[in-house]
Amino acid sequence: MMRVALLALVIACASARANAQAAPPAPHEDAAFDFMNLLSEHELHDLDDETWNAYGQFTYITSLKIPFRAPYTNANGATNSFGTEYERSFTSTFSLFFGVKLWRGAEAYIVPEVIAEHALSELRGLGGATENFELQKTGTTTPALYRSRLFLRQTFDLGGPTIARSSDPMQLGATVDSRRIVITAGNYSAIDVFDKNNVTWDPRQTFFDEAFMTHSSYDFPADARGYTYGVAAELYWDRWAVRFGRFSPPVEPNQQSNDLHFWSRYGDSIELEHDHTLFGQPGAVRFLGYRNHVRSGRFDDAITVFQADPRKNAGDCSAGVYNYNSGDFNAPDLCWVRKANVKYGIGINAEQYVAKDVGLFLRAMHSDGESEVDAFDSADSDLSFGAVAKGSLWNRPFDVTGIGLQLSAISKEHARYLAMGGIDNFVGDGALGRQGPEGVLDVFYSVNIKKALWLAADYQLIWNPAYNADRAGPFSIPGMKVHGEF
Amino acid sequence: MASSKRIGLAVVIALAALAVRANAQSASRGFAFERLSPSAAGAGWFVMDDLDIEDALGGALGLTLGYERNPVHAGALDIVSDAAGANVGGAVTYARWRFSLDFDTVFLATGQSGTVDGETFTAPSVNPSSHPDTIADPRAGIDVLVLGRPGDPLRIGAGAQLSAPNDSRASYTTDGTFRGAVRALIAGDVGRFTYAGHFGAQIRPLDGAVTPATPRGNELLFGLAGGARVPLAWRHWTAVVGAEIYGATAFRSTFESDATALEGLLSARLEEPAGRGRRIRLKLGAGGGIAHEFGAAEWRIVAGVEIFSRSSDASTARAFVK
Repeated sequence: MMRVALLALVIACASARANAQAAPPAPHEDAAFDFMNLLSEHELHDLDDETWNAYGQFTYITSLKIPFRAPYTNANGATNSFGTEYERSFTSTFSLFFGVKLWRGAEAYIVPEVIAEHALSELRGLGGATENFELQKTGTTTPALYRSRLFLRQTFDLGGPTIARSSDPMQLGATVDSRRIVITAGNYSAIDVFDKNNVTWDPRQTFFDEAFMTHSSYDFPADARGYTYGVAAELYWDRWAVRFGRFSPPVEPNQQSNDLHFWSRYGDSIELEHDHTLFGQPGAVRFLGYRNHVRSGRFDDAITVFQADPRKNAGDCSAGVYNYNSGDFNAPDLCWVRKANVKYGIGINAEQYVAKDVGLFLRAMHSDGESEVDAFDSADSDLSFGAVAKGSLWNRPFDVTGIGLQLSAISKEHARYLAMGGIDNFVGDGALGRQGPEGVLDVFYSVNIKKALWLAADYQLIWNPAYNADRAGPFSIPGMKVHGEF
Repeated sequence: MASSKRIGLAVVIALAALAVRANAQSASRGFAFERLSPSAAGAGWFVMDDLDIEDALGGALGLTLGYERNPVHAGALDIVSDAAGANVGGAVTYARWRFSLDFDTVFLATGQSGTVDGETFTAPSVNPSSHPDTIADPRAGIDVLVLGRPGDPLRIGAGAQLSAPNDSRASYTTDGTFRGAVRALIAGDVGRFTYAGHFGAQIRPLDGAVTPATPRGNELLFGLAGGARVPLAWRHWTAVVGAEIYGATAFRSTFESDATALEGLLSARLEEPAGRGRRIRLKLGAGGGIAHEFGAAEWRIVAGVEIFSRSSDASTARAFVK
């Protein structure tokens, strides 16, 4: 009886059929343990034609910063340097994924999530190499419950060979046409639809560092937690796919409030994807472009205004005007020049399997770099590549390991602004003598303890934090992760 | 059954622990204003519970959307003048038990700020832009059908709920404390007539007795619903047309006008016939405050959809347990 009660509490819903696993782009694992599989095994749920599903996950990540030396930290009243002292950060997340079929082709999803976190240096001082991808969700050490997603997805089949779509979190098991239109509308993350990569897969299963979750310079519209409101349309045509989405940006850069004036403030993304087979192994190439029309500040504008009138400096941002709390009265600041600006970028995302369960990935993007970070990372261009392998080769098919390198850089305008002592939401040491690309090397191994439980170790080597070669480091950030799915 | 008793005992102990703290006071403003607490997914009525719990394994998902006008006012001040939100719930039933989870999202909560009787109120300012991901106090519930079977003229049950604090009091979506409720439940079907009711207590630590319109500690809960089943020619669906009356009054000022909320709701629901596995129930209701105080809305409209399934084949459930 108790067993049934516990099962029932977790399942928390039921109708007729069921399925398995947890992580948006991850393929369904028949051997994985979860309650949808359990129901299916007892013939109480049809994983292949679902009317509902429910999944869950919990993840705890902790990272240690090994102290390093730097000639200065937070020079001239700046506030955004990455601290040199020993620190520990952590995140704890717990998510439930509910999906239900409403009518033919229509599915609704809701994902309540709890997060508690503490970031290294209060999430300041790193451009694209934030040590833990969960930290983008913004939280405190006190757990907070929020609705990460609530959206409707409508699929219109257009013919062609049928494809079995697996049962996963935010995906009902179903058979769909290889030619179809998919509309996703509501509250979710732009990267639920764009810039997916099947090799880097679910970040909760692979790299700890945020640099490998998506392009660091993809300033996708989002609130401070990484979610937004919007509509995306996808056309799948056999091996091709094209996507377009419009999403709401934050009212002020990097803040929690969304600007819902979709026609005057928005972020558009467009992506072209081609799936291929190379030497018998699957792969894909995606080209991604984005264009944001948002309220933000341009670096050159801030410099020009400051040089024309030094009273318009970082330390004197007017009360009530959104700013990053710099104390530098001799530096320019974006607070004086925020208005409607356009920001754009273009990138490539490629994946290629070279053997069963062994894949290579590459991402590269370049943004115009003229205006500040609006929603994601302080980076204007990035390059990342690496490899991820599951443990099939050594008879531990649920183990995962990988190695990746990412370099990110900023534009000359951005560098000039930082050199004058300016700061944005995440970087700004108060000075920038020698500029260099920020880099991170990330290596991890995730041991599958039970089929639903992983324990992972991760090592990151980071250099040139905030693109400052004078504070080059490098420094080490080892980390541990416990991840469970049900 | 011994496990069932332990579950019940644990719930009672948890609620008793809350009751010990029930008289604590908080100086800050804002509280969970909502008086329409949706019944568990699959429970039929908007507020009441039809206790249609079978032996076999079943479950339900539900979505309820609502808008209400002037739920919180003090004097001439409409502290919360407009509110809209959604409730998403899920429930699993098995062997006379139901376990449920509910998540409330408030899309809109606005009103007037001002001073009444020396107390200054700051109206909430909740909209999808300012609070894009709000979830108010999530609620877990457990209900049991003690007497009767689905379809019987008299069914008696009991239930308990626990709400965990979430979001901010300034949004008027939470008390900032745990809340619990225990209820006796009654329901039945006599011919085409169907009814349901509840009677119980809400353990509510927040006590703002000196402040107008605010909660005053533990509350007595009560409600009654009745309606008629009307078979429809269209696809053999059934319509249930009826009314629900529900309310709450503070124990410390029982049935005093400024500490009692009473609302009525006229409702109609359409139910897909049994025997198709998954079934759908569509609900629509409108009503307002009979005693328009203490959080009762001046008027409100609600709409809901439930997708639910009950297996009449008990052997299926037994297979699951094995």
